[in-house]
Amino acid sequence: MAAARAVAALGRRLEGALRLSGARPGLVAAGLPGLMQNLCHRILAQAEPLCHARFLHTTLPQKGLEEFFDDPKNWGEKTVKSGDAWNIKQLRAKSSQDLHKLWYVLLKEKNMLLTLEQESKRQQKPMPSPERLEKVQKSMKNIDLVVREREIALRLLQTGHEKPVPGEWRNDFLGRTYWYSYKEWPIPWYLNKKYQKRKFYYLPHVNRFIRLRLEKYLRLRNRRQNLEKKKRKLLEKKFPHLAVKSQSQ
Amino acid sequence: MRLSALLSLAARPKLPKGYRHGTWRPGTAAERLRNPPGQRRKKIFVEPISREDWKVFRGDTVQVLFGKDSGKQGMVTQVVRARNWVVVEGLNTHYRYVNRDAKYSSTYIASEAPLLLNQISLVDPEDRKPTEVDWRYTEEGERVRVSLRTGRIIPLPLRQRRDGIVPEQWIDGPKDTSVDDALDKTYTPSLKTFEEEIMDAMGIVETRRAKKSYWY
Repeated sequence: MAAARAVAALGRRLEGALRLSGARPGLVAAGLPGLMQNLCHRILAQAEPLCHARFLHTTLPQKGLEEFFDDPKNWGEKTVKSGDAWNIKQLRAKSSQDLHKLWYVLLKEKNMLLTLEQESKRQQKPMPSPERLEKVQKSMKNIDLVVREREIALRLLQTGHEKPVPGEWRNDFLGRTYWYSYKEWPIPWYLNKKYQKRKFYYLPHVNRFIRLRLEKYLRLRNRRQNLEKKKRKLLEKKFPHLAVKSQSQ
Repeated sequence: MRLSALLSLAARPKLPKGYRHGTWRPGTAAERLRNPPGQRRKKIFVEPISREDWKVFRGDTVQVLFGKDSGKQGMVTQVVRARNWVVVEGLNTHYRYVNRDAKYSSTYIASEAPLLLNQISLVDPEDRKPTEVDWRYTEEGERVRVSLRTGRIIPLPLRQRRDGIVPEQWIDGPKDTSVDDALDKTYTPSLKTFEEEIMDAMGIVETRRAKKSYWY
């Protein structure tokens, strides 16, 4: 049944561009301020027909800003059909280049959907198919997870460490022990005044408070354990067969 | 695997302590109306059944053993695991009025009351008689429900998607990837990091040297 589901035709979020090799030409230039001002007027004017007439614009396609908007066929629709989000299992089988390209495709789609969401808020109308945004966000999160997993695996192999940043257990001035992760500084520690002000040790008068803290922790832990025992006893009273099962185990 | 599992555990929204589950899904307007944030209700004791031991799923055919409609069989429409509840379609019903308006005097409908797991029994698919069921493993290693009386396997009901899409009938849109492309395996494990592989593919050569930095 799982195999049938995998093979069955579920759509995914990916444009045809992924199947072609090579980067996309002519993305929007970083924008001279004059151009952007001119274009802003056009965008606001053209954004009106979200729910009614189609509008042919002539300057926007040159500048690449049509990618912030959906296919003109979908303008004015109440719902837009969309496929499933990318699964982690499917993404694990993809090469780094594929994941890299997919990330940017998803990013552009997310920008388009966010523009759509903002515009529908402005026009006080419901956004058509908001689940598309969730699917895109989920896919992007999955890609990030896959890349991180691969990075961790490689690091474990090469160094034996799981965390990207080294660290150690340190005491603070209140006597608590915590995991301090190292930070990157431009100057060594003996020249760093900000770092020297931090205290990673505690004075002897703090010992009393450490003991009090320990007692508090033990008291809370015992209360929690007693509560669990009481709950289990009450459950066994209400459902006697649980007591029999726990005894036999 | 570990990272994704860890993060998925942390992502679940937390329900308040002493929350009493009803037949409504948390997050809906009906649930928010009936379980407002400050509400405290008497505790209901529910027999703890672990996730692996759970046998009844939505879409299963079950027979009701106790109550008004005992002896009848029906399909499960809703399962509330927190209270060991199962709602069977059309059985164990009571009647109520809904959709009352200033102008419209309401509709009289039958609404099903939930049944506990011990008032329900799974039904053998060929016999159509109630049986005890257990989880067993087939020779292939698949975990299946087996009826203890006859030994037949009770197949799991078809899981319908919540958005109503039927995968077999799906036609790809312009922005959708085809199944072959999605399942195509392009990953070759290598000892290069993600960034290094991308730099190699795009022909980026990093000639800058990082300034000396200190880690402490």
